[in-house]
Amino acid sequence: MSEALELGINALRGQMDTRAMSYFSSCVRCGICAEACLFYTETGDARYTPIYKTEPLRKLWKREYTFWGKLASKMGLLKPMTESDLSDWEELVYDGCSMCSRCSMVCPVGVDIAYLIRKAKEGLSAAGFSPADLVAAGERADRIGSPMGVTSHTLNATIRVQEKETGLPVPLDVQGAEYLVLLSSGEIAGFPEFIGSLAKIFKATGISWTLSSEYFEATNTGVQLGNSKLAAKLVERIVTVAEKLDIKTVVSPECGHAYTTIRWDAPNFIGRPLPFNVVHVMELLDQLRQQGRLKTKGYTEERLSYHDPCNAGRRGGVLDQPRNLLKMVAPNFVELPESGDMNWCCGGGGGVSSNERANPLRLKVFDAKKRQLDAAKPEGLVTACSNCRHMLEDGLEHNHMYDVELLGVTELIAEHLVDGDEA
Amino acid sequence: MSDKKQSRIRRHRKVAYSLLSLLVLTLVLPLIPYAVAEKDETAGKVFNPGTELWRDVRQRDRDVIGTTQMKSVDAGVLINEYGETWRHFRMQQLVPYGAALMGIVLSIILLFYLLRGPLRLQEEPSGKKIERFTVFERTVHWFTVAIFWLLALTGLILLYGRFVLIPILGADGFGITASACKEAHNLFGPTFLVALVLLFLTFVKDNIYARGDMLWLLKGGGMLGGGHVSAGRFNAGEKIWFWIAIIGGLVLSVTGLILVFSILGQSREIMGLSHVLHGIVALVVISVSFGHIYLGTAGVEGTLGSMTTGYVDEAWAKSHHDRWYAEVKAAEDGSDKIVDEPGLATEGKS
Amino acid sequence: MFKHLVDGIFWDIALWVFTIGVLWRILSIFLVGNKKDLSVARTTGMTGAIAANISRFFPRSEMQSRTRLHVIAGYMFHLGLFALLFFAAPHILFVESQTGLSWPAMPYWAFIVTAQLAFVGLLLLWIHRVMDPVTRLISSADDHVGSILTFIVMLTGCMALLEGFEGLRVLHRFTVELLMVYFPFSRLMHAFMFIPSRAFTGAWFGRRGVKA
Repeated sequence: MSEALELGINALRGQMDTRAMSYFSSCVRCGICAEACLFYTETGDARYTPIYKTEPLRKLWKREYTFWGKLASKMGLLKPMTESDLSDWEELVYDGCSMCSRCSMVCPVGVDIAYLIRKAKEGLSAAGFSPADLVAAGERADRIGSPMGVTSHTLNATIRVQEKETGLPVPLDVQGAEYLVLLSSGEIAGFPEFIGSLAKIFKATGISWTLSSEYFEATNTGVQLGNSKLAAKLVERIVTVAEKLDIKTVVSPECGHAYTTIRWDAPNFIGRPLPFNVVHVMELLDQLRQQGRLKTKGYTEERLSYHDPCNAGRRGGVLDQPRNLLKMVAPNFVELPESGDMNWCCGGGGGVSSNERANPLRLKVFDAKKRQLDAAKPEGLVTACSNCRHMLEDGLEHNHMYDVELLGVTELIAEHLVDGDEA
Repeated sequence: MSDKKQSRIRRHRKVAYSLLSLLVLTLVLPLIPYAVAEKDETAGKVFNPGTELWRDVRQRDRDVIGTTQMKSVDAGVLINEYGETWRHFRMQQLVPYGAALMGIVLSIILLFYLLRGPLRLQEEPSGKKIERFTVFERTVHWFTVAIFWLLALTGLILLYGRFVLIPILGADGFGITASACKEAHNLFGPTFLVALVLLFLTFVKDNIYARGDMLWLLKGGGMLGGGHVSAGRFNAGEKIWFWIAIIGGLVLSVTGLILVFSILGQSREIMGLSHVLHGIVALVVISVSFGHIYLGTAGVEGTLGSMTTGYVDEAWAKSHHDRWYAEVKAAEDGSDKIVDEPGLATEGKS
Repeated sequence: MFKHLVDGIFWDIALWVFTIGVLWRILSIFLVGNKKDLSVARTTGMTGAIAANISRFFPRSEMQSRTRLHVIAGYMFHLGLFALLFFAAPHILFVESQTGLSWPAMPYWAFIVTAQLAFVGLLLLWIHRVMDPVTRLISSADDHVGSILTFIVMLTGCMALLEGFEGLRVLHRFTVELLMVYFPFSRLMHAFMFIPSRAFTGAWFGRRGVKA
């Protein structure tokens, strides 16, 4: 057995739990999951069937955790797992799955297929069968603190520009602030207005907040790779910074997997409860709205729709909040068909967006999104995830859909904000 | 050149002789029961007082209905004379003629295979595959196949079992088999109607008569003379089979239901007639299905794939269903339907 | 001879293999254990677990057009099979003879209708399994053996419907015994395991405030 294979199999063994075994014992191979998966519906390629992507883990389960499997492998009737049982799945798991969990919502026996794919990723990444781009992003995240190589210098420069534009200070490393706001590298590089918008909103609502220059990254490449060790290391950095600054609540920015990671997975990665609360920026803004602290003026006449980021919505439970906020300023809001917890993914989740090799496939499966947009015909598409926004931009461009404008919820609210002084 | 011509003449001669001999067989076979049947020369010549009584009991001459306290259809009939006619038909006609029909069809197919051989493609397979039947269409087809053959086999055992199976299983063994087959046949019967409806709805739109079908028939579908005959998605032969299956299936279903649900007040004569129709139509449909099976498998190169994977080679489409091929190519999503790897390509969902 | 085996020792073996096998299989799954979820839940997982066990009986509206065959045939088969298993008169008589328990049977016509529903459903599901590239890819021998064995059990059951021949009853019982022995080692276990699976998924999503 090669070293890579052994590492992979050991990692898979470490993933086996009652939940996974229960899932494998329930699956009746009905194929309904395929009908929910954009990688299957848009390509027609049966190999993209969600449950098929879990084969590496299922093969191990069969060999080592079932009666016939154990018997047959002892008698030498069952072929031992080979390296290709892992390597052949790299493309399916990393390029052909965005971890959107739409399949998990429709399985009649209740298998959370995304949960199993996430576990299979642990085996593949331990064996070294992960896309080079994603591995490199992971290395950068580990070394620099950002998968895109955004340094604290870049952050400082961005902050200065935003301070100049808004005329408001952006607090940095403030000891004892109520909220610590995390950012994604994609936001800093692509949508820096998010920072200025927050400064405006927090000023108007009287919130004490801060950014951290020591560690600001909300995304977690360890999760996308399926490398829990790296994931835990990156989470620990957030915990250290938050503890140092004595933070009560950590705010996840407009990013899907960043939110599920820090809100739901982080304590399990580090093996202890978090010493602070976590909210998605949508949750925070909606709380402020409910408390009557967040007030808006004027409306946009545009026909807006909301694209649910899979991780924030389906896997994170942030579904109503952005809609409540949008309805404050967009009376012509219209739902996409199959939105909410059954929304179609932008195609770039789960690390697909960082994996250049997967671009043609990602743009092909964007057809699912295109169908939704063609049906609802919105003039503007709002989302609460900078990665989704990048992917939507790319997909719209690819399909020459130039008349759909892309927006972030936070900026939209900031544009219509009633200033603290005005009120 | 002349070699080729001579061999063609020889082949034509062989075909002609075979057809002729088949014709003779068809005419002669039904006569066998008459030849074998014993003739009772003395019947009707000697007066027998018992006969008169017997004639009354059977209510042969007069339309006398007896009276009884029992209230059910035909309760006033002491002995159902019609039943004897029915029994006679079943044993003397349905059984031998049915066997002959199936035997003749099988022989024709065998002869055709030996003389003409499988129909080959006119050009080399291109490797490009084109979707002929969707998952749903194939599911409906095989669903019908499964139920049809369950019914056909159990039905044939009920009809021919006493000749074929009693020598093998013995009377007791056949008794069990026949009972099992009867229960299964009756139980599966109504489900055939479900299959029939699905089959009809799925395939009817491409089985309507279209221009060119008559020409196809006149040219014998290109099966005898060779040469290319133009056709749409389904050719005239396939369309005829479709309507035989649908109409035959409908007759089978209706007569079958009359026979299974004997509580609906139908008389014995209706039941007897239903059985007669049921038997004849079943044997005809089974016989024609042999031809369908032959043409779908060994008879025409490259056809089977259309009902297994759903895909056929481009060359197959061009040579057998050229107009359909042109339609697919011209369609907006035509390029999606012609692919390299069939198992992994887009399949239409219903 | 065969009849005595089927009604005697074979039945005992089948019953023991089925019972011990199923219990052992479930136990072996639950002994492995899950890691405790340390995150702060929005709502308790229990609510989600129960809700998912109910909601997953109903397909999502978004999936209707793409999974019509799965759902219709699936329900025809499962409901038909359940009705046959628990409410066919001979089955109730059999249970009564073994345990003394009895309950009302469904009328003969209902038996016929449910048997037909079950047959149509099972045949459609199995043929679709073979025809659809997705299910063909993910199905293994286990799936086909399970389907065919179930079909044979149902078929022999119907063949014995007349209850006139002892041999047919024995044949039916024998195929049932085969199915019972096969059950704990196969995907037929989904008949039990779908409940914890739905519960785990429902709880996981429920904690996050999502109705799964």
